[in-house]
Amino acid sequence: MKHIFHHPPEKATGRKYWRSIGQLAETKEFQGWLEREFPEGASELKADGVSRRSFLKLMGASAALAGMGLAACRHPLNLVPFTESSEWSIPGKALFFATSMPWRSGAEPLVITTHDGRPTKVEGNPRHPVSSGGTGTFAQSSLLDLYDPERSRFFYQDGEEATAEDFEHSLDYMIGRLGDGSGLAFLAEENASPTRERLRKEVLKRFPKSRWAVYEPLGNELADAAHAAAYGAAVTSVFNIEAADVVLSLDNDFLGSDEVAPVVARGFANRRRVEKPGDKMNRLYVVENRYTITGGMADHRLRLPASQVGHFVLALAKELGVDAGGITAEGNVELPEGWVREAAADLRSTNGRCLVLVGNRYPVAVQQLVAAINEKLGAQGKTLFSLPQTVEPALSLSDLATAIKEKSVRTLVILGGNPVYNAPSDYNWRELQESIPLVIRLGLHEDETSRVANWHIPAAHYLETWSDGIAYDGSYTAVQPIILPLYNGWSENDLLAKFAGQPKPKGSELVQETFRARLGGADFAKSWNQFLHDGFLPATVKPGALSYRGSLPSAKLAAPAGPGAIEIVFPADAKMDDGRFNNNGWLQEAPDPITKTTWDNVAWISPKTAKELGLKHPIHASEHDLVEIAFDDNRKVEAAIFIVPGHADNSIALSLGWGREVVGKVGEGTGVNAYRLRTSDSLYYGVGAKITNLRRKFPIAHTQEHFSMEGRGLVREATLDEFAENPTFVKDNVSPPAPPNGVSLYPHPKLTSPNQWGMAIDLNTCFGCNACVIACQAENNVPIVGKEQVINGRSMHWLRNDRYFVSDGGEEEDLGEYASDPQMVVQPMMCQHCENAPCETVCPVNATVHSDDGLNVMAYNRCIGTRYCANNCPFKVRRFNFFDYNQRPIGKVKVPILGEVSGLALGPLTKKGMADTLKMQKNPNVTVRMRGVMEKCTFCVQRIQEARIAQKVKAGSSSDTTIPRDSFTSACAQACPTDALVFGDIADPESRVSKLKAQQKAYTLLEYLNINPRVTYLARLRNPNPKMPDAKRTASQAEPAHS
Amino acid sequence: MATGTSTFEQQKAEVTRVPLVTNNRSISWITQNISSIVEEKTPIWWWVAMMFTVPVALFGLFCVAYQISTGVGVWGENHPVGWAWDITNFVFWIGIGHAGTLISAILFLTRQKWRTSINRASEAMTLFAVCCAGIFPAIHVGRVWMAWFLAPIPNANAIWPNFRSPLLWDVFAVSTYFTVSVLFWYVGLVPDLATLRDRAKSKVTKFIYGIFALGWRGANRHWRHYEMAYLILAGISTPLVLSVHSVVSFDFATSVLPGWHATIFPPYFVAGAIFGGFAMVLTILLPARLLYPQLKDVITPQHIDKMCKIILLTGSIVGYAYAMEFFMAWYSANPYEIWVFLRNRVADPVVFGPLFNVPPAPYWWAYWAMIGCNVFAPQVFWSKKNRHNLILVFIIVNLVNAGMWFERFVIIVTSLHRDFLPSSWGMFHPTWAEIGLFVGTFGIFLTLFLLFMRFLPMVAMSEVKIVLPEADPHHHPEGPSHDKTTQVQH
Repeated sequence: MKHIFHHPPEKATGRKYWRSIGQLAETKEFQGWLEREFPEGASELKADGVSRRSFLKLMGASAALAGMGLAACRHPLNLVPFTESSEWSIPGKALFFATSMPWRSGAEPLVITTHDGRPTKVEGNPRHPVSSGGTGTFAQSSLLDLYDPERSRFFYQDGEEATAEDFEHSLDYMIGRLGDGSGLAFLAEENASPTRERLRKEVLKRFPKSRWAVYEPLGNELADAAHAAAYGAAVTSVFNIEAADVVLSLDNDFLGSDEVAPVVARGFANRRRVEKPGDKMNRLYVVENRYTITGGMADHRLRLPASQVGHFVLALAKELGVDAGGITAEGNVELPEGWVREAAADLRSTNGRCLVLVGNRYPVAVQQLVAAINEKLGAQGKTLFSLPQTVEPALSLSDLATAIKEKSVRTLVILGGNPVYNAPSDYNWRELQESIPLVIRLGLHEDETSRVANWHIPAAHYLETWSDGIAYDGSYTAVQPIILPLYNGWSENDLLAKFAGQPKPKGSELVQETFRARLGGADFAKSWNQFLHDGFLPATVKPGALSYRGSLPSAKLAAPAGPGAIEIVFPADAKMDDGRFNNNGWLQEAPDPITKTTWDNVAWISPKTAKELGLKHPIHASEHDLVEIAFDDNRKVEAAIFIVPGHADNSIALSLGWGREVVGKVGEGTGVNAYRLRTSDSLYYGVGAKITNLRRKFPIAHTQEHFSMEGRGLVREATLDEFAENPTFVKDNVSPPAPPNGVSLYPHPKLTSPNQWGMAIDLNTCFGCNACVIACQAENNVPIVGKEQVINGRSMHWLRNDRYFVSDGGEEEDLGEYASDPQMVVQPMMCQHCENAPCETVCPVNATVHSDDGLNVMAYNRCIGTRYCANNCPFKVRRFNFFDYNQRPIGKVKVPILGEVSGLALGPLTKKGMADTLKMQKNPNVTVRMRGVMEKCTFCVQRIQEARIAQKVKAGSSSDTTIPRDSFTSACAQACPTDALVFGDIADPESRVSKLKAQQKAYTLLEYLNINPRVTYLARLRNPNPKMPDAKRTASQAEPAHS
Repeated sequence: MATGTSTFEQQKAEVTRVPLVTNNRSISWITQNISSIVEEKTPIWWWVAMMFTVPVALFGLFCVAYQISTGVGVWGENHPVGWAWDITNFVFWIGIGHAGTLISAILFLTRQKWRTSINRASEAMTLFAVCCAGIFPAIHVGRVWMAWFLAPIPNANAIWPNFRSPLLWDVFAVSTYFTVSVLFWYVGLVPDLATLRDRAKSKVTKFIYGIFALGWRGANRHWRHYEMAYLILAGISTPLVLSVHSVVSFDFATSVLPGWHATIFPPYFVAGAIFGGFAMVLTILLPARLLYPQLKDVITPQHIDKMCKIILLTGSIVGYAYAMEFFMAWYSANPYEIWVFLRNRVADPVVFGPLFNVPPAPYWWAYWAMIGCNVFAPQVFWSKKNRHNLILVFIIVNLVNAGMWFERFVIIVTSLHRDFLPSSWGMFHPTWAEIGLFVGTFGIFLTLFLLFMRFLPMVAMSEVKIVLPEADPHHHPEGPSHDKTTQVQH
């Protein structure tokens, strides 16, 4: 009888299981490869034939050999299928492994999809409470960093290529001469990995006089200091935003760039899910200088220069009766009459079920005062909790800089980070680093810091390393390699182990040791396997109470920005973070959530300030005015301005993370480096910059030119009270109205499938964070097109987040007039899968047709590219491959005579092909499209088919081919940290999507066209405080369905 | 009532038709002077002209090769503007291709004898314009090598073209039109080819013309068959004149896009096509008359006058259609429709923007270029004096040519660039590759026309001879005849 391989018990749809590499490691085969075949196979791989199979076995076991593995991938013609199946691998079926992404605010728990040993997609870990299946933008796009062909792959000694052996020899020699370590210093990034912490202590034991410093340009240094002063250094605080009825965010973008833990976004969103009239909702006040996605969700938003936020906090403290101690402020700030009073009253009325959050780079005194306010409000124990601190205090960058200046650092080991690029400009870090005799730098990329290091060590990506982490809720998470290092990279644990006098670890031994210590007496093997399987140990320490010490320092807040004293704010970039993602094409091309700019950062400025400076926003072009922003002769940059409605006057925001000097081709020449303006005493903002209009232009690529919805009923909104009064407001005044009988002229295929797919998007919980955009890009092999093509309007995203500003009106964008203080709404827009799809009738070759389960499907093979479908698509969601984006160079290439020319426009004259590593990222279940064909959202048809096939296999001869309810979802819906996007079967009235569609505030777009979209939107609701001075405005702006 | 012979003469002159061929030319004069254009030594100006048109045509073909090898991205199209110059140029050239068949077929059936002196050249122009037009839909697709999917070929996949798509109707309509136009033109050419064959001095020439003359000997039976065939083809062509541009207009009219979705499109497009076609006929024939003075007796001011009148009529119809589109947008009360007409097109910075209190439309200049050229410019043809001022006529018809291009640009680009969702609004900027291609099609068109002038009789000699007084032996001249005593003096 034929042996049928059975997968271990799993759900029928086949996407809910995952296996650990550790389980695999226990198998005989794997041990065998490690012990025997690996060294042998390494030489055999250079030949072809039979030994290729052993390579593939390794690949299949998610253990691709680094250099050789790649060599093999370059010759796909020689690939042969498995002849012997390795135990967990079924060809064509994905395997799932749990891991987590290290991040400064806590590890993000993840599940990685792998195909034939290649990680192809990052998902949130649905079992972990911090993720619940959702992810942030950075986790989604970190996958591309793994495969970045320009990632560091070689060791360098003083700029010369060296080998790993050279380095190990030299390292052993050097470590032997360190003595008590008095000249040794480490500079690391914020990371709560217990294994790293353990190694750090072991290194310290061996070299008691060594130094350990931590630097993150966007880190929590100031927040930690404030926290330590308020609550003591032994604990760290977490907040439970879901428990808060009223939240006041003082320039804390907790839904966006300031906090990546999806649990925060989800907790906030859970309090904004309004199912029926009468349901309650939380209320969000935001004070900020620039629009953030958090500000976009605000019920009341006050635009205030960052340098005035401290003054606002003082006013709030006074209003709440909090003694500000010795904190005083220079200058006077006029706040809108009643704003502070009513907001304070609202906060007080919640009896502690409220939260005041402040940006983590505000002066320590301001942050301490906010802690005092939270204490006064009684948030402590209701929304604010303590967790034990897991990381010992470290030196700061300034301490280290002092030590270097004193010549007491002889050997500096830089573990990740990029201080030459991102240290405060007053440190002159480059010179400091050059003055150290020996600098060893472990880095993912060869960057600015590598250039002034004696040794550059290629770092392993977190998807290639063994490590661990602490998640936001204090739980212990696994970081396990999903693939062996592609470029022979070392992890920081590898390097630290060497310093601790241990051999470079072969596998998980270091993490196992840490794990063993945490485990106590339990059965190790079983627990370890369970740990790797789940990806985490549940948090054992429950959040406890904070004990407030209540000592406020005496400090004087500096004079704020005002007319004539313009401040520059340095926010974290929504895409580049601190610059680490600068060579990531997905993030480069992801539109900024607010400005929708790509491939550059821009100086955000308010319409009024721009007018005063004589700056204009281009109306029908991409050419933006250039300004010089200068604090003094050394601290100056040239940046393109971007007028953003709702921006505070006399304030300019220039995000960090751009303008890298030593970076790969993707990041080259993108943006301007705001770190040049940033000093150690202006980590978040600096006042008094001189702005000079350079009277030159600079092209900026943005994906959305128009700010206004022009009164069309696209995003329909109301206040909570209006919804209670008129639950069907979304259907009111729909203009033009839907046709009465809904008859279509054309016959349509019968929708006979037992499952009918549809989607519901809750605009009340969607912030526009871009996680879905990147998830879609990763899942569906959507190419990037480069800055020039984005300017040409050819961005390929299947899913985009439309952002509109809503105001009382009167402004005409086409005349260059912008609302000074509008509200913001976001609308995810993808193929609406219209049942009467206008695109289908016009395609001359039947390349886009309707399926029996209600999908508007594209047959790429059949498409000849007339673009008629895109023209007739009312939502303009169809994307045309104007060039061979997958095969030709994106960006400029140098050619004789012509100079620098667009690589795409040179077409056949350029080298064809995609980097080998990038090929490895592609989802094998989705066609990579060629030029000349149209593409668009498919509702992740590959996932639908996988589920359908699984169900058909399960059904056998029975007729039960209905896919189980909500057993899988589309990539965007899966990534969404707030479940704002819900995909499912609309034929099943009990499915999540059907229940959402049945809500009274559900509507579809452009009813009058009689297109019957399968995507339903749930109206946006706001919850204004009727006593607030701007409440009336908030209510009157919430205009329903008027088109 | 007036008295005296002078009054009688005046009255007589008023009711007497002006002869279609002036200067009382004889049949042999026609043969001699029209054939000589082909037979004489190639004039210098022809070589000079070819030196301009051929490189331009080749550059156009280079642009085609570049686009096909590199991708549609070499043009300026984007999301949301999926069609721009490509389809604009297609409709522009197809429109020009309308006058020829109209003159040959409809005017033939309605016994408009003045058509005879211009029909050959305008039919040739039709064919060359359709050739140019055909380039665009063929290469505007992303994968030209797969364009055969458009043909209803039975294949293994059992996939047929989508018969609901107007783009497919286009394929059928244009290819039918081209085929019938070629046949019509060729059938008309046969007697003249025989004339050239008979007059040919070299054996090669005689042989080649002989092949194409299909053994025409001018026998009675030949004439009988010829006239029957010509009549039938005229009958077939007549509905095509109306259908082709109606079908082309369906590309837009059947869509859901405001600015495209309009029931007025078929008649409006047909009128526009005739309008543009006649303008192009005049653009070609006015210089030809200068280069070959003998043509002045055949293509007389009277012909030009009549064509100007047609331009005036069709231009006014088009103007009415513009107004009606605007009215319908307002009458529908559909904000999307109103937006397209007011905010995407009409609103200019000086008059209508301030009048309706809206900012200027990004493409207001294209809309007003269209109105100015198509509606206002032809109004000068109300005056007979203007219709006989050939320089003025030449200027106006070229304005009309430009206006008709702008009309298609306005319809296509201004509707697409700002449609339903403001988030996807954009602008279109042409690139050198599409400008080069458009200019290149003029090179192709003019090259083909120059070749036509050198190798085929520009005027249908046999047909012109039929309208000569000489051709009607029973005719008793009321007006001027070949009798020299009554010859009209110029």
